[in-house]
Amino acid sequence: MSDSPLDALQRRFVRSITFMADPELVASVTGGGALTAAEAVDVYRGGYPARLTEALGETYEICWRVLGDEAFFAAARGFIARFPSRSHNLSDYGAEFPEFLESLPIASDAPYLGDLARYAWTFKELFHAPPHAGLAAAVLAAKARPEAVFRFGSALRLLALRHRVYGIFRRDDEDESPIQEADWKGEERLILYKKEGNPIYVRELTAPEHAALTALAAGLPLADALASADGLDEAGAQELFGFVSASGIVTAVA
Amino acid sequence: MNATPGGRKRGTRAEGENAFVGVGLRPVHFPHLLKRPRVAVSWFEALTENYLDSEGRPLEVLLKIRDDFPVALHGVSLSIGGVEGPRPGYLEKLKALAERVEPFLITDHLCFTGAHASNTHDLLPLPYTEEAILTVARNVGIAQDVLGRQIALENVSSYLSYRESKMTEWEFLIAVARRSGCKILLDVNNAYVSAVNHRFSPESYVDAVPAELVAQIHLGGYTDTGKFLFDTHSRAPTDPVWELYRRTIRRMPATPVLIEWDEDVPEWAGLEAQAIRAAEIQREERERQPA
Repeated sequence: MSDSPLDALQRRFVRSITFMADPELVASVTGGGALTAAEAVDVYRGGYPARLTEALGETYEICWRVLGDEAFFAAARGFIARFPSRSHNLSDYGAEFPEFLESLPIASDAPYLGDLARYAWTFKELFHAPPHAGLAAAVLAAKARPEAVFRFGSALRLLALRHRVYGIFRRDDEDESPIQEADWKGEERLILYKKEGNPIYVRELTAPEHAALTALAAGLPLADALASADGLDEAGAQELFGFVSASGIVTAVA
Repeated sequence: MNATPGGRKRGTRAEGENAFVGVGLRPVHFPHLLKRPRVAVSWFEALTENYLDSEGRPLEVLLKIRDDFPVALHGVSLSIGGVEGPRPGYLEKLKALAERVEPFLITDHLCFTGAHASNTHDLLPLPYTEEAILTVARNVGIAQDVLGRQIALENVSSYLSYRESKMTEWEFLIAVARRSGCKILLDVNNAYVSAVNHRFSPESYVDAVPAELVAQIHLGGYTDTGKFLFDTHSRAPTDPVWELYRRTIRRMPATPVLIEWDEDVPEWAGLEAQAIRAAEIQREERERQPA
């Protein structure tokens, strides 16, 4: 690692922004306008949490809405202090936010917060995923032998959550009614996918449906995947296959 | 290299009188632009990082816009002045994006954005030293080799200056361009902001920059905090910046000009009005040129 004057300066500057103002940096600069050197460094120090808070607010807007400004900004401050940004892309920031929210005292009153954030992150990931071209239903039906292995498209995510959050995510922006335990109590399984373009579709899954799709996604042959899904009867398997055919989530069959 | 908006275009609309003036492409204007209205700008600038890792709706819109207009890619995370060099993978992603978008110009900022694997997502000023010039020149060489094309670097606004600096900001900017082989994206607003903040003459700055090094000009709005000028891109250029722009464009009347507006973005007509004003000044100065 280089230890040149420029290298040392850059490390001091970044540490001053992400941690605390370095006296050596402050001593090495002159403030612009009527700013003192320390105030000038603070201009840069202030911009960093503002940008990361904005990024968190964009990805986790639903959590912001549920928590309100004060609690969300406090959570963001704590998160930013612990997790520096390492990507060139602000949109990548905040992958650990769901677990972080679950570690906060506020999660005891709102235990669904982590799953709500998990859903929001997944939605964001899918938003940026390339759309795929799925096999037509007739083509898939012709290839769907018991030993067939389905390959799913890239614009698909399966989620198994400990709390029901999809309804909360879909709440109208204007809906300020309090979230009740009945709104989030119970597990939820979802598939999020794109079909023929960029709109995102969401379907709630039963536990056997989720198990079968997870097994298919892992590369199990069709018959084995269906057999691995406890509680999936023939009618359920037919219905699931109908959804898989119509949704265009399968891009190839081996 | 063809670094004018007329080069490498797949389609052109609304060219003509405002052939050199573009605006930043912002999501708030997507619905309007997708209706393919007649517009008074002839090119768009897309923020690189918004499309680098996304295959979703924003890229879909950008590629549709690209079917009709030339596009420049403008980045904020290349960290060309970083001692550690460009982040692994960044340039390869940028190259892949450029192959799809076919921009007439790829630009970023003359600054560093992080160290030690951290990214501050800010445009941090460099000291104006020989070591900084050598560092930037090395990184420009890496970038241009990977991308297979020349890039342009933008002068940034700054709120502090380093005691160790050995030259003026414009001497540094020019030295970087000459020694690295890159072009300059001359942000007239940034030159003004830094000139006021650091008490030097903005006219001396823009007059010193050789026209042949400038690939593009940016115009934006700052906020006067009372203690310093802050480059917020949240309003229209101020009168002193328009005057500085007129002075600049007089020497380089065929240079592409961009209106930048990132915060409190106005509706399309408000942004377009600024582009029209920039085009009028450019036209006036072109017409003053000796035949």
